[in-house]
Amino acid sequence: MTREHPDAPRPLISFKAIGKTFGTKQVLKDMTLDVYAGEVLFIIGTSGVGKSVTIKHLIGLLGIDHGEIWFDGKRIDPLPERELAPVRKRIGMVFQNSTLFDSMTLAENVALPLRKHKGMRQKQALAEARARLQQVYMADYADRYPAELSDGMRKRAAIARTLTLEPEVVLFDEPTTGLDPVNARRIDRLIRELSGTHGVTSVVVSHDLVSIFTIADRIAFIYQGGVRAVGTRAEIQGSPDPVVQQFIAGKASGPMETPGF
Amino acid sequence: MPPTPTTTPRPGLVARAAAAAADRVEAVGQVAVDAVRAAVELWGVFVSTIAGIYRGGRPRGEIVRQLHAIGNRSLLFITVTLGFIGMVMIYQACMQFMRVTGDLSQIGLQFLPLIVSDFGPTLTAMMLATRVGAGIAAEIGSMKVTEQVDALRMSGVLPVDYLIVPRFVASIVMTVVLSTLGGAVMYLAGGLTAHYQFGVNTELFFDPELLRPAHLILGLTKAVAYGAAIPIVSGFCGLRAQGSSEGVGTATTAAVIGSSFAVLLLDLILSVIAFVLFGEQLR
Amino acid sequence: MLGFVERTVTQVGTTMVTIAREVGGIVVMTAQVLRALVPPSPASLDGRELVKNLHKMGNRSVPIVALTAFFAGALMLVQSAPFVEKLQAHALAGWASGYAVLREIGPILIALMFSGRVGANNTAELGTMTVTEQLDGLRALAIDPVRYLIVPRVVAMMVMLVALTVIGDLVSLVGAAVVGKALLGIEPATFYHSVVDNLKPGDFLHGVYKSIAFGGAIAITSCYFGVTVKGGAVGVGKAVNAAVVAAAVSVMLLDFFMTYWLG
Repeated sequence: MTREHPDAPRPLISFKAIGKTFGTKQVLKDMTLDVYAGEVLFIIGTSGVGKSVTIKHLIGLLGIDHGEIWFDGKRIDPLPERELAPVRKRIGMVFQNSTLFDSMTLAENVALPLRKHKGMRQKQALAEARARLQQVYMADYADRYPAELSDGMRKRAAIARTLTLEPEVVLFDEPTTGLDPVNARRIDRLIRELSGTHGVTSVVVSHDLVSIFTIADRIAFIYQGGVRAVGTRAEIQGSPDPVVQQFIAGKASGPMETPGF
Repeated sequence: MPPTPTTTPRPGLVARAAAAAADRVEAVGQVAVDAVRAAVELWGVFVSTIAGIYRGGRPRGEIVRQLHAIGNRSLLFITVTLGFIGMVMIYQACMQFMRVTGDLSQIGLQFLPLIVSDFGPTLTAMMLATRVGAGIAAEIGSMKVTEQVDALRMSGVLPVDYLIVPRFVASIVMTVVLSTLGGAVMYLAGGLTAHYQFGVNTELFFDPELLRPAHLILGLTKAVAYGAAIPIVSGFCGLRAQGSSEGVGTATTAAVIGSSFAVLLLDLILSVIAFVLFGEQLR
Repeated sequence: MLGFVERTVTQVGTTMVTIAREVGGIVVMTAQVLRALVPPSPASLDGRELVKNLHKMGNRSVPIVALTAFFAGALMLVQSAPFVEKLQAHALAGWASGYAVLREIGPILIALMFSGRVGANNTAELGTMTVTEQLDGLRALAIDPVRYLIVPRVVAMMVMLVALTVIGDLVSLVGAAVVGKALLGIEPATFYHSVVDNLKPGDFLHGVYKSIAFGGAIAITSCYFGVTVKGGAVGVGKAVNAAVVAAAVSVMLLDFFMTYWLG
């Protein structure tokens, strides 16, 4: 059920020719990419090409050097920290290493945004947090601390925490990296469910080929600081570009230039 | 038939208090056991360090590097902190004397023996405990959690010889040197304060008449003892670091507290011994 | 020779630039904390975090501060012992050691110990949160780390250090009295009268006012170095080191200015 390009012409999120340099290393140069409401978009590419950097710009954790970022008809890249709060309530992020607060139990972790943004009292927030954890099948571990749990469990709890604010867009930074295949597929199913039943737009940074070709609506392949190819699964699989072909086939040798080799 | 509610009777107040007290005693006992164990291990590190001075096995030039790291890089820090505290102490003392006799001519006379026998070395060492102690624990702790210490062991080098001995030697030398500097800065800063703030004659202030050899011996002994204690305590904390960034943080914190506390403890012990042994000559 | 001069100059220059940058960062953080607190509103301070931190910091520091204060009192008495013996002025011992302890030595030593225990721990904790991206996690949840993490810690540290200084003052006087009795045979009653008759409430308050400032300085520096950590475990160790040094310097500087200002 590959969806074709959505009919609505206006994208929900637009990166317009953005650039980012760390020290002397130019990570992104004139990258342009659109994200449409309700889709699951995968951003793929080798390690260190700026995939995570791209999505961190979207919620202001990093600032771009030039270019523009638009969200829902509003330019958001020049916003100061204070004015980013409303954007961050609408765009959630699940970090690569979960970033649960390790001094709190899972329930307390999930309860924090409820208490801060939904005006709940601690007791009410904790009860709600348990219900939220149930949705990711983690209710049994509500009173455990993050350090006691596996990566997959932490990731699921982090997803529950991100979803408390009912974001319209969820950014996933390598959600399946470091997980065993069973847990990885569960996360995939969760991401797919979100867009199916809740209409959430998902932007997933990944190089997990199985995830990519199971749940992506569209795929953007980043190479040398820009988008080399973008399209549906079928379009990417059928791409004549040898660089794209090398990546999706996972071949060690080919035309692709990777730093360090 | 409704189920009979089964309620376990709440234990009486006395029983609960007794249970709580037992827990408390157990906790205190555990702390005591841990403290004794740590003290024994600390002593082990100390003995091993002394032996390590003769064993050798430290990298060439390491002592010089450590002298630089501990000494030169603390110069500004010690000068600034001891200078300010010297000014404050004289200010406070002058205020105190003015309240009673109004005679400030004795201030400098009394101040010098105190600086030499106590404030100079002790306050310098308190400052070094934070800067040097934390630095040593951070360095060694980082090496421990990144398994570099294990790598040393694997190549047949004792971590104590390689890591602690050079810091131990350098710290003793530099604590003596910096205590001298710190004391001098304090004395000078105090003298200027007394002169410009309270109009005390500088010649009167900088009069070393009351200084006795016993003061010098006591001050020197303290400086050496502090200089030895700081790297031992901090190195020990560093070698005990576990985990990752959190472990290094804990080790560094423990080193600051442990070495500051060691300085105060040694100060009290040495001061009391000195008072009992040569109380007469310290007057 | 020229190489040496050049190296030294470069080194001094680099040090100065680093210090200037750190001071700038600390000033900015102070401004952020003040802006969160003024004007006061329920949103400016997270009550749960405040209580949690007060509890944790208190538990952690009371024993070590009590012990330090006892030592400080004892030491001051040992230092004044030769003069007291010489002048046969037992009635002055309590006043002499009490004056130094309440106004100067007590607040300073307690602040240094507090910085080593609570401040360093705070830096390590925030540093670990920073390197594991937990602060970014907060920001991604639209929660301001300054309001949620830093402001409660600053308030808790200021309150706690004042409380500890008050407790420490009492303990150190006890320490001085105990050593006075053991070393010089001064009766506790004599000691007590010496303290009560000669020391004014102002002497006590002098130390307490200082501890408010010390608490603020320790809190801000320890938070600043915690949230600016870079580079994993090594970075956290370095940050704790820098934080305790910065706290020691600011305590000494503040002590100087506050002493003049309070008179």
